[in-house]
Amino acid sequence: MFRAALAFMVLGLIRHAVVTLSEVRKMVGRAGNKNVAYRQAFAATMKWLFPVGQIRQRFFFSITSLLFHVAIIVVPIFLAGHIALWKSGIGLSWPAISNGLADVLTFTAVATAVLLVVQRAVARDSRALSRFNDYALPLLIAVPFVSGFLVMHPTWNPFSHNAALLVHVMSANLLLILIPVTKLSHIVLLPATQLVSELGWHFPPDAGKKVGLDLGKEGQPI
Amino acid sequence: MQTKETYSYYVETATLQVTDRPRKFLEAFASVLKHGNYGAVLDTYSRVSAKCARCAASCQLYETTQDSRDIPCRRSQLLLRVYQRYFTHAGVAKARLFGGFTLSDEYLDEMAEEYYRCTACRRCKATCPVGIDHGLITHLARWLLAEIKVIPKALVVSVREQLEGVGNTSAIPVPALKDTCEFLEEELQDLYGVDIKYPFDVEGSEYVFFPAVSDFLLEADTLMGNAAVMHVTGGSWTIGTGNYDGINYGLFYSDRMMERIVNNVVAEVRRLKGRKVLVGECGHATRSAWFIPTFAGPDGPEVVNCLEYAYNMLEAGKLPLKDALIEERVTYHDPCNIARTGRITEEPREILKAICKDYMEMTPNRTRNYCCGGGGGTVSIDEIRGFRTGLMGKRKAEQIRATEAQLVVSPCANCKKQLKEVCEDNELNDVEVVGLHDLLLKVIDFGVPEPQAEASEAEHLNEEQSEAGELQSDTVK
Repeated sequence: MFRAALAFMVLGLIRHAVVTLSEVRKMVGRAGNKNVAYRQAFAATMKWLFPVGQIRQRFFFSITSLLFHVAIIVVPIFLAGHIALWKSGIGLSWPAISNGLADVLTFTAVATAVLLVVQRAVARDSRALSRFNDYALPLLIAVPFVSGFLVMHPTWNPFSHNAALLVHVMSANLLLILIPVTKLSHIVLLPATQLVSELGWHFPPDAGKKVGLDLGKEGQPI
Repeated sequence: MQTKETYSYYVETATLQVTDRPRKFLEAFASVLKHGNYGAVLDTYSRVSAKCARCAASCQLYETTQDSRDIPCRRSQLLLRVYQRYFTHAGVAKARLFGGFTLSDEYLDEMAEEYYRCTACRRCKATCPVGIDHGLITHLARWLLAEIKVIPKALVVSVREQLEGVGNTSAIPVPALKDTCEFLEEELQDLYGVDIKYPFDVEGSEYVFFPAVSDFLLEADTLMGNAAVMHVTGGSWTIGTGNYDGINYGLFYSDRMMERIVNNVVAEVRRLKGRKVLVGECGHATRSAWFIPTFAGPDGPEVVNCLEYAYNMLEAGKLPLKDALIEERVTYHDPCNIARTGRITEEPREILKAICKDYMEMTPNRTRNYCCGGGGGTVSIDEIRGFRTGLMGKRKAEQIRATEAQLVVSPCANCKKQLKEVCEDNELNDVEVVGLHDLLLKVIDFGVPEPQAEASEAEHLNEEQSEAGELQSDTVK
């Protein structure tokens, strides 16, 4: 099950990456002006991949979002228990974080996920924009963290160990499957978006004329 | 039909007679996706858009209205929704299975309204964590709307005049242009005692001059400043009588028109065997000219903005200045079209610091500046003046007030018209809006003694001329 979900995620994300890269190539190929501001697009991407300088605007929301991202990226990848599973499965391993730190980050992930939803609902502008997805995804992301914490700390767990483990694994699988088909796909698309935005302004030289021909408007009075 | 008569801007009668609009809109959309570079943009945006609302905090309109319709991300979603529904497999399948959203006349009318409440200033671009460019979406949406004839009358009439009529957006015929320039030459003689010519159709000139053509009607001082700078620096320049208009409203509503207008600029430079395009004080004319490589390839003429030219000359010591500098407090408004990407922000500041005693920055500035409130062609739409100077211009008015400046400098014909109206409508009565070359003109040392001309008479003439100009531009619209 996990393998299938992981494969779905990996293949889905690879597909996004490949499609986006080939689109970028096509855009550059069609553009009349091939002088693309790659450096600025890269700088803008880096600015937001490491957004420490950007937190002053909307301070609480930005801090929450930043901590949320750090926690949910670090814990699943660097938890000792997860690495042990990788090792027994495919023989690969890498340095782990301490379980104490993992607990702190897990708590952070859950707290910030809830805070993100609360802030989204409280602030008028984000509430106006939000779809069902936008509320559901942070809460769904919190589920494997809560259940994972219970698996790691049997004394806190009011349910059976297996039940907590089942919820943990299944919710994580569900998330893996959702990643390529929801806004979570920004995992791979974000590094390309600034470049795509830049290329959006690089029009093909004769696009206007061709559209005019298609619509039967070429040569017609304005 | 009822819904189509409620736009906040005037449209032509023909607009109201278009039938079957959703189908025609989608046909245009399909064609644009096929031939243009917008497909990948819409695809990526509709996948990554996180709806975080950070853009709301950077939009000067939303900051003032607090109305959710004015959140950039929500506005972009209007078009993304149509894209997802009709041009993605998932959207088509979902519609087959569950029905739901269908593009309607009312929805098109909503788009027609919303995309002209955005000036495409692109201030929100810098605050989007994933890098969505809402200005690009506004740009595209307006083009698609234009293909079902939803275009503000002020814009389409000007473009028609430029491409099918007299040849420029203000409908100034060549004899009138020459008259105006002769008049300006006399002014320069009377005021500064110097013999400066506006050269017409000089083949082989380095620079072919493309100001916002409305400057010939409204901004005499700016044009005199342009000529004065070229004169004292010995620049080789000319005005082509085949095309002397840098204005390109295609940038605001149609790539089809934009392409034609840019190509006309290139054709005039080639006709005159010129090497470079010298753009006057106009933000969007400069940005449009920067599209020359797009439409004419890498061999197209180089583009130089008059600010860059003047700054380079100042740096090279070729722009002699008088000892008497500008006394009043001066502030600078960055036109979005040249400053947003950081391309021209320092040149005008260096010039101003060299010629003004009391220069004061407004904040925020440079790439983070607030739009004048009349960007994206909206400044030409007189019937929405209340919106432009009120909801849209409030931030700008506050910004100007905070500097306590007497002179607001903005090297952009659009910004200047808008800022004058912002000042009038927001009780900034002691503030004067001028171009940068207007000030340069006053401090250039021509090396000849100044005549003791009656300044008041000259001002009177100026007023007369700009009044005549306003009348003429009104009749055009």
